[in-house]
Parts: sequence; C-alpha cells; structure tokens
Amino acid sequence: MAKIDINNLKEYLKIAVKTISTRRIRSWLTTIGIVIGVFLIVSLLSLSQGLKNAVLQQLNMMGKDLITIMPGDITNVSSMMSGQKLTDADLKIIKETEGVDIIVAMDYTSVVARYDNQKKTVLIYGADWRNDLDIFKNDMGWSVSQGQWPSPGRAEVVVGSIVASDTFGGLRVGNEIVIKGRKFIVAGILNSVGSKQDDSMIGVDSNIFQSITGERNGAKMTMAKIEAGYSADFVAEKLKSNLNENRKRQIGQKENDSSYTVLTSATLSSIVGNVMGLIQAVIIGFASIAIVVGGIGIMNTMYTSVSERTKEIGIMKAIGAKNRTIITIFLIESGIFGMLGGVGGTLLGLIFAKTIEIYFQIHPLFYLRADVSPGLILFSLSFSFVIGCVSGYFPARAAAKLKPVDALRYE
Amino acid sequence: MTDVLIKLENVWKTYKLGETPLSVLRGVNLEITQGSFVTIMGPSGSGKSTLMYMLGLLDTPSQGNILLQGQDTTNFSEDKLAEVRGKRIGFIFQQFNLLQNLTALENVMLPMIFQGISEGKRKEKAKQLLESVSLGHRINHKPSEMSGGEQQRIAIARSLVNDPEILIADEPTGNLDSTTGKAVMEILTKLHREQKKTIVVVTHDPNIAKYSQNVIHIQDGLIVANHFQESEILWQK
Repeated sequence: MAKIDINNLKEYLKIAVKTISTRRIRSWLTTIGIVIGVFLIVSLLSLSQGLKNAVLQQLNMMGKDLITIMPGDITNVSSMMSGQKLTDADLKIIKETEGVDIIVAMDYTSVVARYDNQKKTVLIYGADWRNDLDIFKNDMGWSVSQGQWPSPGRAEVVVGSIVASDTFGGLRVGNEIVIKGRKFIVAGILNSVGSKQDDSMIGVDSNIFQSITGERNGAKMTMAKIEAGYSADFVAEKLKSNLNENRKRQIGQKENDSSYTVLTSATLSSIVGNVMGLIQAVIIGFASIAIVVGGIGIMNTMYTSVSERTKEIGIMKAIGAKNRTIITIFLIESGIFGMLGGVGGTLLGLIFAKTIEIYFQIHPLFYLRADVSPGLILFSLSFSFVIGCVSGYFPARAAAKLKPVDALRYE
Repeated sequence: MTDVLIKLENVWKTYKLGETPLSVLRGVNLEITQGSFVTIMGPSGSGKSTLMYMLGLLDTPSQGNILLQGQDTTNFSEDKLAEVRGKRIGFIFQQFNLLQNLTALENVMLPMIFQGISEGKRKEKAKQLLESVSLGHRINHKPSEMSGGEQQRIAIARSLVNDPEILIADEPTGNLDSTTGKAVMEILTKLHREQKKTIVVVTHDPNIAKYSQNVIHIQDGLIVANHFQESEILWQK
C-alpha cells in the first residue's frame, strides 16, 4: 500500500505546487523566514571559514621549525600590553638554548615617513640582512616582487606590498623615502605575505634601525630556528624554562610566573583553530535559531492552510484519499517551503560572501576568500528541508484527523 | 429476490449539544437494493443529509450497523473506509465540491490517483468520461471558469472514474436552474438505465423524486414512508 503512495508522490507534488502557487504572497513570506536563517549560516560560516584559512595559511608560511618568543603571557592581556621587550640577556639565553640554531630578533616601531610630500605613520623593523635573510626567505616565505633585498649597512629599505600600493600609492623601486630626516632608497617591494600588518611594514638595516629609533637594546619579539633533529615542542619547553629561571634569578620571583610566550606554529594554529571554531559555533547557534523561527512561520502558514482547506480535505477524503495521503500532500507542501528557503538562502549567502570577498580584494584590509564547501551547502539545504517537514508534521496530522463528514460540512 | 447493496440496521446518530443530546437519526432501518434508483426526501433538519453521509460511509453511526453487501463496516478503519469510498461509491454534491486549483481533467483524475492508477490510464478514462458529459472541449479549464451545470457534469464524471456500484447525489440540482437541473437528472437516469448503477438522490424537490422508483420520506430522524412507484419513470415521458 505504501508503494502506491510512493508512485503517487509526483502527483501529490503537483497538487502541492499548485496550492503554493495560488497563495503566492503568503508562500513568499513563509519562505523568507527560512531564507534569512540559511543566508546567515551560508554567508557567515563561509566567511569565517575563509578567515580561518587565511590566518592558518599565514601561520603555515612561517615554517614548522620556527618558534616565536614574546615577552608577557599571551593569556594575560595586561602583560601583553605593557610594552615589555626581550632584553639582550633574554636574547642571549634564547640563542644558547639547546636545539636553537639561529635567532632573528625582530624589533619594530612606528615612525613618520615621508614620500613625495606625503607624510604617513608606518611601522619600520630592523633586520640583519646579512645573517637573517635566509630565515626571511626560506622559513617565513617572504620574497621580493620588484627590485631586490637591501644590501647590509646601506641606507636602503624593502617595503611591503601595501606600502607600495596603498600607503604611498605609486611608490617604485629606486624612489626615495625620508624617515626621521634620513633618506632611504627603496631597494625592493615584497610580494604580499598574507597579513595586512606585515605587508604595511618597511624593513631597514638593523644598525640603522637602532640609530634612527634609539632602540638599541633587546627586541619586541624573536624567532628561533630549530636545529635539525630537535622537536619544536621540546625546544619550546626548554626556552620557557631557561627564560623563567633566568628571570627568577634576576628579580627573585617566587611564583612560576610565565611571563614569556613561546609559540610553535602548531600551538598558534590550534589557538586560531579554537577561537575560530568557537566563533563558528556561535554563528551556527544564532542562525539555527533564525531557521527554527522560520520553521514556526511554516507551521503557522500550514495551520492556516489546513483550516482554509478543510472542505478540500473533506472532498479528497470522500473520493478516496487515505489519512497518509493527506499527510503526504501537506508534508510535501511544507517541505517545499523549507527547500525553497534553503535554496534561496544559500544563493543569497553565496552572493553576499562573494561580494565581501571581492570587496576585500579591492580594499585589502586582510586577505579573505569565502570558503564555501559542498558540505556547508548540503547541510543548509537538508537542514532547511527537515525543518520544513518537521514544522509541517503537526498541521498535516491535524488535517488527516479531520472527519470527512465534518470537513465536508465546513463552510 | 434482488441483492441488498447497503443495509442500515437500527442506525442512530446522536450529537451532544452542550448538555442535551440531540438524535438526528433515531433507529433507521433501510435497504438499498442493487440497481435501484432511490430518492430520499424530507424537510431541512429531518436528518436526510446525515442519512446520506451514513449511506456513503462518510460518517459512522453512534449506534447500529451499516452493512455493505452483507459485510459489517462498523469496525472498518478510516483508511479502509476511504478505500471503499474511493472504489465503490461515487459522490455528487450540491456545491459540486471540485478542487478549485485543479482543471476539469485533473479533478476527474484525482480519485484514480488515490487508487494508484497509472497516468496513461487515468488520462484516457477521464477524457472519455468528460466527453460523455459533453465537456471534451473544456478539459483544461478550471471550475471557476465554468457554469454551474458544467461543474456538476465534471463532478458526475469524477464520481464515475473508479466505476463505483453506487452513486450518491446530495441535492444535485439544488444550485442549478431547471433546464440544467433536468439535464443533470437525465444523465443520472441514463446511468441507472444503461449501466445499472445504483443511485441514491437526496432532495427536497418533489419533481426530482418523480425520476425514481423508490421514494423514502424521512422526518425527525425516522423513516415515515417508503413507497415504490409502479410505473416507468418520468424521463420516458
């Protein structure tokens, strides 16, 4: 008997579509409820996934055998904001820690730079072009798109891609930039490294950096390259304990205050993954609520439809429709609402996400590609269809339970 | 002796209006024989519509039994009743009761969909029936685009698609002018005469009763008269 119903699904689908299309405005309004929820899920999830990918990609460019060391505890905001620096003694300990091959001390500060009568505040960093270039090129994945790397000791700079395209639009290799009254020649322009901050920086020789900024000691952060054969986690632990022991010896701290942050690329990736995962969970939560509200809208419409079509239900029962036939017709109808909402929301979400992506290509605040996975689309479509069917179930059952005689007498 | 198609045994139908129970049918006994043309007459509120719903298995008695060819339907499930209605009973209503969203052809095909008949067969049968009621040229029109007489003819075509043994018509001419009403009654009479269909017509119009052999009068939920007309019926005159 159930087989007959399956064969008839096509016919019931036709009946449902006819009913929906004769109540056009109400059908659209009902569908919009689902569209909004699915739109939120598709657009926000694809964008947040794209953001996560962008951050992780940037971390991956850093290489697996680099460890980043910063002063302060990353879980304690005030210690990160206090502007502490790694001292020369710290740098020495890092360099001498077991498993550390070479280190690159990164110091940066903001200065006012002038180019072609434009004055802008930019971040400059000092780099030892002789010894550290290898790490920049091979471990961090930086490369010049035009010109070349600066020569050690010369008044030359290498600028990030955004500096040339945006900060000082039209800047070219060989142009002159004035920083703190000193003239520098632009030796090279870097390819984008994937982060807005890094792409907006200007690199100068470390000795010149010290002399124009007066920052002669220590560094804001340092990167340590691991010797072959050592694991990043092992070296990170060693670094942490060595640095903390030294600090205790110096200022006699009793507690094991972890006032250094030692990050391997793996821990960084997992932090980013966790944070983004949390954000996505919140998005799914809120968007699901929107879809459920849409489902209640479907339920409302279906109950209205059942009471409006009481007579029609009576006629169908009189001429041989069984209860499950009536349920099937109404379920198909509410399922269509859910499905239409899912398709509409997915399309709108895709359009929105792609628009945002294009916007960020034109205005590169950071690099964002909307990540629309087939799984996400499948999830939204099936979720909205299921919500449609579930919302339609109770009205459909109410319709099926009507007695033919009562339904026929209903005016 | 002729076969009894539907038999009502001491059928009661009682509704509760607030605290007081109201009996619309009060112990009705009735036999509808195969191939008969029966008219049920009575003033409004007499219980004739309820009696029609009982005969059509659209309603269940509060007390008593309804037998279909000797088979007691009391314990039939809703789905079983729907199946019996779909296969063996055809309905024609005063309000035509067509689905407004569907075309004439789709309305006529609907009872066959519920019986799981294939699309090809459905179309063929529905077209043939619509042609037999002179609507072959209007099969793709919706009921709202048609006159009352045309709608009632669609309803007649619909009632016949599953080849039922019995047609039950509730005031079939009530919403039609006399000429159209007469045409509808002629179709029913023809079905009775040529296809030996059992026909039950519920009406308050004595002119309609003249078409039938067996006239049943109902009043206050009881059958007060049940007489047979000897002579051949009016359509011949």
